[in-house]
Amino acid sequence: METLSDELIMQQVTEGNLDLLKVLFDRHHKHVYNFLYKMSGDRMLSEDLTQDVFYKLIKYRNSYNNGSFMSWMFTITRNSLKTYYRRTHKNHEDIGVLAYKAVEEENETMENHAQLQHALNQLDPADRELVLLNRFQEIRYEDLAEMMGSTPGAIKTKVCRILKKLKHIYLESL
Amino acid sequence: MKNKHVDELIPDYLDGSLKGEDLRKMEQHLAECPLCQKELEEMKLLFSAFREDQIEVPSERLKAQFEKVLETEISNHGQVIQLQPQRKGNNWSNTFLKVAASIALLVASFQMGSVFQQQKANKDIALLQEETLQMKQTAMLSLMENQSASKRIQGVSYIEEFESPDEAIIKALGNRLLYDENDNVRMSAFDALAKFTSSESVKNILIEALEKEKNPSIQVAIIQALVQIQEKKAVKPMQKLLDQEDTQPFIKEQIKAVLPSIT
Repeated sequence: METLSDELIMQQVTEGNLDLLKVLFDRHHKHVYNFLYKMSGDRMLSEDLTQDVFYKLIKYRNSYNNGSFMSWMFTITRNSLKTYYRRTHKNHEDIGVLAYKAVEEENETMENHAQLQHALNQLDPADRELVLLNRFQEIRYEDLAEMMGSTPGAIKTKVCRILKKLKHIYLESL
Repeated sequence: MKNKHVDELIPDYLDGSLKGEDLRKMEQHLAECPLCQKELEEMKLLFSAFREDQIEVPSERLKAQFEKVLETEISNHGQVIQLQPQRKGNNWSNTFLKVAASIALLVASFQMGSVFQQQKANKDIALLQEETLQMKQTAMLSLMENQSASKRIQGVSYIEEFESPDEAIIKALGNRLLYDENDNVRMSAFDALAKFTSSESVKNILIEALEKEKNPSIQVAIIQALVQIQEKKAVKPMQKLLDQEDTQPFIKEQIKAVLPSIT
């Protein structure tokens, strides 16, 4: 079981073997959680939303289309985060500003990898999201293109541009 | 690629995903281009920062809750599978049977209810009727003890209400016939008793009355009644009446006329 791909496991889940969702949870809940935490800077929120993501995996298991499991899972994750911000911060102008502030405040007390997070926070949310998904979650350009409704080439170019920008900010702060 | 920098390939190069021709050209360019070398070194720093980045670990609560929800979902899922085949096919007839059964139950309980109601009503009516009879009897008996003769007659005439009077009434009527001082009351009592001559006690009362009665018209009536029922025991008192001095002559004639028909 441990060696099976996410996609094969998820396929069995859709066929009714719900127990296998535990394997997927064990493999990926940290990824979802870390992505959410880097986006929002809020541990409690990240935990709640991770919970929410896996509930949705259970609930909407039959909507899994046999594509990349990671991109399916992160599509759900991104939607959950967007929905959360839409609901709770309707009156604020920019989602990114809030997320940025939240992360900044928490990181003031942190020392080591604070620089990287600080640099990430300088990016606007869409760019940050892309870097996180590509670099931290190792989602391929093809899958990212599918998630974002773009082409792999365009995504690759975009990621390169963002990386250069991030590198610049990061090196400046060192 | 001489005059073209390789910025765009640096991430792939660092990932080790560049292959063949691309990789060869990349390395060739890097060797010649200090700008790109610098870019590569800087990007290496960023990438190592990525690698060294701490992974945040969510609390145990997350896993526990997820597994709870999953258990619930699994048990729901299991139930659905079990129930589906049972529900198929039988669905219509089942529903129909259920509806039919409930209608049958409703009708049956309604019928039972009305039957019990009817029985109770009948009982109530019988009870009421009995009560009214008892009340009339009490009224009758008390009226017969009344001082006023007309009230006593009224009491006696209540006998009309009773189809089969009990011993108490017969006895009360007999007492009227035997001991009442008023002729009219005795006459009425006789009239009342005359309807029940089939009763043994009534016969005895009539015979006893025949011996005691002094009023000729009542005597005649009693004689006629006794002759009608062919009462043999009446012969003795009649002969006694014949022998008595104070018996009215026409009574004696009457007795003489009817005696042969009894014996």
